[in-house]
Amino acid sequence: MEAKINKISVCMIAVLFAVFTIWVWVKPDTEFSSTERRTLKKFPECSIASIADGKFMEQFEAYTTDQFPFRDAFRSLKAAMHFYLFGQSDNNDVYVIDGHIGKIDYPYSEKAVKASAKKFNSIYEKYISGTDASVYYAIVPDKHYFLGEKNGYPAYDYKEMYETLATELSDMEYIEIADMLSVEDYYRTDTHWKQESITDVAKRLAESMGVTLQEEYTEVTHDGPFYGVYYGQLGLPVEPDTITYLVNPMFEDCVVTNHETGKTMSVYDLAKAEGRDPYELFLSGSISAITIENPNATTDKELVMFRDSFGSSLAPLLVEAYAKITILDARYMNEIMIGKFVTFENQDVLFIHSTGVLNNETAFQ
Amino acid sequence: MLFSSIPFLYYFLPVFLLLYYIVPKKIKNPVLLLASLVFYGWGEPSFVFLMVLSILSGYLFGLGIEKFRGKKGSKVCMILALVVSFGLLAYFKYANFFISNFSIATGIAVPLLKVVLPIGISFYTFQMVSYILDVYWDKVPAQKNFITLATYIVMFPQLIAGPIVRYTDVEAQLKERSITFDKIAYGIRRFALGMGKKILIANVLGEFAAAFHATDEKSVLFYWGYAIAVSLQIYFDFSGYSDMAIGLGSMLGFTFVENFNYPYISASATEFWRRWHMSLGSWFRDYVYIPLGGSRCSKVRHYFNIFVVWMFTGFWHGAEWTFIVWGLYFGILLVLEKTFLLKWFEKYKIIGHVYLLFFVIISFVIFDANGLGAAGTHLASMFGFGGIPLSTGVTLYYLKSYLVMFLIAIIGATPLPKLLVEKAMAKPAFSKAIQIAAPVIMVLLILVSTAYLVDGSFNPFLYFRF
Repeated sequence: MEAKINKISVCMIAVLFAVFTIWVWVKPDTEFSSTERRTLKKFPECSIASIADGKFMEQFEAYTTDQFPFRDAFRSLKAAMHFYLFGQSDNNDVYVIDGHIGKIDYPYSEKAVKASAKKFNSIYEKYISGTDASVYYAIVPDKHYFLGEKNGYPAYDYKEMYETLATELSDMEYIEIADMLSVEDYYRTDTHWKQESITDVAKRLAESMGVTLQEEYTEVTHDGPFYGVYYGQLGLPVEPDTITYLVNPMFEDCVVTNHETGKTMSVYDLAKAEGRDPYELFLSGSISAITIENPNATTDKELVMFRDSFGSSLAPLLVEAYAKITILDARYMNEIMIGKFVTFENQDVLFIHSTGVLNNETAFQ
Repeated sequence: MLFSSIPFLYYFLPVFLLLYYIVPKKIKNPVLLLASLVFYGWGEPSFVFLMVLSILSGYLFGLGIEKFRGKKGSKVCMILALVVSFGLLAYFKYANFFISNFSIATGIAVPLLKVVLPIGISFYTFQMVSYILDVYWDKVPAQKNFITLATYIVMFPQLIAGPIVRYTDVEAQLKERSITFDKIAYGIRRFALGMGKKILIANVLGEFAAAFHATDEKSVLFYWGYAIAVSLQIYFDFSGYSDMAIGLGSMLGFTFVENFNYPYISASATEFWRRWHMSLGSWFRDYVYIPLGGSRCSKVRHYFNIFVVWMFTGFWHGAEWTFIVWGLYFGILLVLEKTFLLKWFEKYKIIGHVYLLFFVIISFVIFDANGLGAAGTHLASMFGFGGIPLSTGVTLYYLKSYLVMFLIAIIGATPLPKLLVEKAMAKPAFSKAIQIAAPVIMVLLILVSTAYLVDGSFNPFLYFRF
């Protein structure tokens, strides 16, 4: 009996390894992981130099992990083991509470927050100081702000971050928005807030900057599921979101320019809603410099918005009150380029970033 | 290349095994040697030549020892072989330690050497030294075939992390070994078990330790959690790797020595070292302790021998003061046990267990620390002298999140699971079910371990640095 079982064991393992070995050798490479939202590693360059310095081996290991057959199924298996067998509360810092996927935003990095403030101050000193521009800043709390501490996950003292920024950004006026938000204002499977849930935030920002919004929108829900960025990171099945955007006839007359390409585009890029990251339908995603010109604005004022991805869904809601909004992402553009887009005369300036970006040491390096 | 990696599991190993099984017997050693050089060269291409040089030296001096047996030349060859082996180890592993300490002690700034530690040098040096000394002591004839000797040293299953296989143990197997379904099946089981220990337990406990290091909100409880996690991580990491090595050896027809035997059930440090890294302990006993005189000498000399052995045992693990202190710490425990504690523990075994666990956990805090200062801070904090709270929310989160893993690791570090399986196997009904389930469990274990690798989880290997 034992000998028979041994033979069966060897055969089973041989088949398992034969199948996967042949598969990894012959499987065509996958370029992009839609669940992880990233380009997968390609077969590394193989040369005597890259072998001698070990780079080839290092890159080959990353390549084999990325291109392994059924990668998503294996990641799901790992996540299931992690949560259900080993009883762990998070998987790669990602967790689920009542269908909401969150990511542990911890620990606090004063170095990162000060580096962010330094970047904003540097822009202020170089371009804004001495002009008549009014300068504001707002902080978008990460979803973990609402989910984390309440549910026993490690969370830093957000008050400390707010106080540090208040000290560091003493030339700017702070606009509080955290009190208007709750976890329900965020997508369940994504890091971002829902545009239809932040009209009150837009209103407060506008009023704080001296303009008013009527906010007459029609909600349009895009067909099909929206699997947010956390969905892929979690690796377990969770009910997807849907993505809704707010439209106003005024948007049709707006001229939206992508200054990376010099081409015009629309406020909502519906093709992107079908793409890798449906959230990119808002102003076409991560573009470092965009302007929205609105001939029907209620004022002739201009707004310069330094933002991260949260600003993409917020900016269209402010269009109503500004003849021109310049949307800049200071993470992806050289500081010298800023002067090319803005004068800071008769302009409001808003720095709005999420806690996740402010607490990230590499964001504003 | 790590055993617990996709390139090894799904690129290297299956291709190698296929080739190894189909070639005729007389070509198996050259195939194993070649594959082992590829395996080693994958991680350290430039150090393949260094290793070949070390083997060549051992081979030639081994022949010299035999040629001049009974003459002075034999001793000269033995000494020269040891000088080359230990010289390479000293240069690559210890030179910068001595240089930096010299600079600190004298105030003369001597620039450090630009050397990188070749992987596995501590292991293959000790294997080569055991071969040379065994030939010199006439326990075994010198190997005339260079490929056979090189295969013994380079054999990839035990090359980078042991067990430290003695030439005397595998001499016959290098010439003639049988490969059977039973041996392969045992090897696969052992390999899968080791992989599970390494990937599913050690790596996960390593994540706990990493979370501990990352937070500023430390507490007394977190320090203790970290100390226990590290103690278990090191055990599962190293014993898992040893299991994989023994399993691979079995698949190739070899029988390697066991390296771990449930060390945490020991009731004294003396017993612990009979169960922990056994191949290293027996190496130091046979090649250092006994040649120094062992216990058959005066009490003072005996204690001196113990401290020399334990200082070197610590130093073997790394060129840091923490390792020397760690070794001497065990030296002190062993002397105290020999003097009076062992007799006492024989009467009160439970106290011996508690004592052993306490002192081993403390020892691994020193072992894992980044310098003696950090070790001191860790230990002080564990005993409430760090000015930190007893517990924090962060501590409780991680302890709760890793509770199941801690329980699995603690139970898995005892023979309890093995005993339960053996007990069940004694009953015919269970026995059949277990035998049928075993291959399925093995496949699942390999798939789950693969899933953890594919997810790109935390996958360091602690004993690589030795």
